[in-house]
Amino acid sequence: MRLYGRARAYEENEVGAINVSPLIDVVFILLIFFIVSATFVSLPGIEVSRPKTQTAESLEKNSILFALSQENRIFHAGEEIGLKQIPSLIELASKDRKKPVVIQSDEWADAALLAKVILEARRKAPSVSIATRKPK
Amino acid sequence: MKRLPKSLPTDEVEINVSPLIDMVFILLIFFIVATSFINETGLTSKYRDTAKNSLSDQPPLSFQLPSSGQLMQNGSVVGLEEIAPIVRNAKGKSKSLILIQVSPGSKAGLATQVMDQAILGGAEAVKLSPLAK
Repeated sequence: MRLYGRARAYEENEVGAINVSPLIDVVFILLIFFIVSATFVSLPGIEVSRPKTQTAESLEKNSILFALSQENRIFHAGEEIGLKQIPSLIELASKDRKKPVVIQSDEWADAALLAKVILEARRKAPSVSIATRKPK
Repeated sequence: MKRLPKSLPTDEVEINVSPLIDMVFILLIFFIVATSFINETGLTSKYRDTAKNSLSDQPPLSFQLPSSGQLMQNGSVVGLEEIAPIVRNAKGKSKSLILIQVSPGSKAGLATQVMDQAILGGAEAVKLSPLAK
């Protein structure tokens, strides 16, 4: 009977108050996870069919992306750009930290244009990679 | 002496956490939306422009991609699967840099596959160089 009385007194103290501390804990953990994993990469804005290669290795996540479409147009951050704009765009996007460049090239794009894009990108970027996919 | 108003609560003061939770939720939603999980795989051509070994030493092993869509080495047509053995059998310094000369009109997919095969054959660096028509 004493136990019952004590429990009852406790319940009367906090009428209907939900304990929000675990909720805040979980939300904080999720928040920290997303802050840490956020990389803020601006996507080129078009989808290309990447060439299949066997030796493909995982590339740096925090890199500057360029895309080369099937119609031989160059895209960066959702906009079509010209070949000569590439070095200045890399300088703008890397902000003193040397970021690598990844070129998403379509299988059927012009190889000479791809080579020119790589040459332009290499003037400012420490490394230039071509995005590929592994054969299934 | 100043008197405290009677309506002031005398028990301990509780901090209202609702604005904090609101703010944290807004931050959380912002980071969820802004995070882009990209995981690219690809090839990197690790050549250095400063390495000038073309004049004194033997010229680098080179492949040509004419606009006809073929793959050639020294004027003869080679197949894609022959590249890895050619690179593997190349001696010494010519293995350090493989040159792929691409003409306008050849396809990026083929050029990438040539790079892939050259790396598979043990090439240390592969350079794509555009040929002017």
